[in-house]
Amino acid sequence: MKNLYLPFKVKIVKTETLSHNVKLFRLKKDKGKFSKDKNDLVFTPGQFVLISLFGYGESPFGPASSPYESSYIDVVIRGVGTLTEALHNLKQGDEIFMRGPYGNGFPLKFIEGKDMVLVTGGCGIPPIAALIEYVRANRNKFGGVYLIYGAKTPADLLMKDRLKKWEKDIKVLLTVDEPDKEWKGYVGMVTELIDDIKINAKNAVASMCGPGPMMGALEKILRPLGISDRRIFVSLERKMQCGIGKCQHCATGDKYVCQDGPVFYFDQIDKNWD
Amino acid sequence: MSLIIEKKQIKNWLKELKKEFQVIDTRNSILPAKQYFLPPKEDIFIFNKKTKRLTNSSYQRKTLIFGLDLNDLEAMTQLDEIMKNPQPDFFYWQKREKSVLVGLTEESFGPAPGGDIIFKKINPYQYQAMILTEKGEEIINSPFFKKNKTRANEDFKDKLGSFRKILLDSEVLADAVAWSIGHKIWDELAKKCLSCGICTYVCPLCYCFSVEDKVNLDNAKCVRCRQWDACTLPHFARIAGGHNFHKTIKERYYNWFYHKFVRAYREYGRSQCVACGRCQRYCPAGIDIEKVLSEILEDYKKVKK
Repeated sequence: MKNLYLPFKVKIVKTETLSHNVKLFRLKKDKGKFSKDKNDLVFTPGQFVLISLFGYGESPFGPASSPYESSYIDVVIRGVGTLTEALHNLKQGDEIFMRGPYGNGFPLKFIEGKDMVLVTGGCGIPPIAALIEYVRANRNKFGGVYLIYGAKTPADLLMKDRLKKWEKDIKVLLTVDEPDKEWKGYVGMVTELIDDIKINAKNAVASMCGPGPMMGALEKILRPLGISDRRIFVSLERKMQCGIGKCQHCATGDKYVCQDGPVFYFDQIDKNWD
Repeated sequence: MSLIIEKKQIKNWLKELKKEFQVIDTRNSILPAKQYFLPPKEDIFIFNKKTKRLTNSSYQRKTLIFGLDLNDLEAMTQLDEIMKNPQPDFFYWQKREKSVLVGLTEESFGPAPGGDIIFKKINPYQYQAMILTEKGEEIINSPFFKKNKTRANEDFKDKLGSFRKILLDSEVLADAVAWSIGHKIWDELAKKCLSCGICTYVCPLCYCFSVEDKVNLDNAKCVRCRQWDACTLPHFARIAGGHNFHKTIKERYYNWFYHKFVRAYREYGRSQCVACGRCQRYCPAGIDIEKVLSEILEDYKKVKK
């Protein structure tokens, strides 16, 4: 019987500081490359991996690298707890463990041929970043693609170099809650953002990650744009211990975030009592 | 034809089996049989920090669990299903595959609820052995069992207790518990419940767990251990950064019911409760889950008439 809890070794080949408490780790497999699925993907954007450091524990993270890239996986980690702070102390060359990918990911076939609005905030960018890389690799299969990315301050916006790169292929709209003097983007999750979004609402989807911007974006942007709840995909966050639908920590309503999600139709979960 | 064993011979039979098995008599045990396959605490991985070698715990011992009653047998059948689907739990099956379950009952029953053999009392001195699996077949080949030409009378009569009756219609139960979210009973229970988790520990069908790493004092070895958790405990649904999806006792206590009677029904088609009564018996606050369910059902039926 396969031991699904058994993680494999990965080596940190690069670390990059993205903000005062966020770091990117580029992880390479001990031997060989990450295996690909039948769609030639290492993972489906929106899926998660479980990263562990023995002595500190194991936690889920959504890869931020291109799903076509099999020589490495990038994870973006905010130092907020025991494990993540221990990970922040690691250097290039250190070894950690990984298992996965797990969960469903964004429905790639369904979103094909449509306009798309991506909404995320702060540290919710990794799965959206992977989805953007997927879009860029298949640019002619998508209509207009808009990223609304919010953060508390301009310094909390992550992956600024990649945001620049993306601007060639998609429209990037940035917004912060606390602007500084140089800030030229939006302030808050405001209705005016709609003016920059030109989509055919009947043939559009939205993909969101992170609880912060979710409700604001829904009320002020996505619903006014006319995107129905069935076409809004939300990636949820829960602490999970197993990743395979047993431990109960990630349950919400009658769903498990690790198995049925982490990506849900909005109307699948908005009536959940928890 | 059936196999009969004298009551006084059972202990001799078990003694003989001790050569091959670790024999556990589980009669009157507070903790249910899940503890042998999903232990309260178990080391699952060992990581040697010097050699950087990762090994998982291996389990070789064959275990025979004796004395499970009908409820506990049914719970084990359900737990096996849970641990098999949608994906198998390696550490559970590592132990479970090498185990044999022997039931013991004075009650009559219809279809066997589970286990490998069930001993059914047929008179004050004798038990009839009902063999259910190949595993059972293998251990019953012993001189302690006598063939009895006449098959013991099947006197099965449906004598369900009141709690059992409630569980019969798990569909209505699922609807009722889902409907009950705004019911005043959850506020009342939130005042009573101590959030101690005992109900989940003694439940034969509560199986949630958490995983924790331990490091040796000399920092040479790290052990990843899995231990029972309880969805009624305060930290259960907390995520990094401190947000807690089930902050209040009321939310957590409702979640416990919601899992057993709603999510379980939608996942496996039945409630994850076998009316064993342990949670009622050992709840320090005296919460009686049969009464809770009855009250919800009664009000639900009034509303849905």
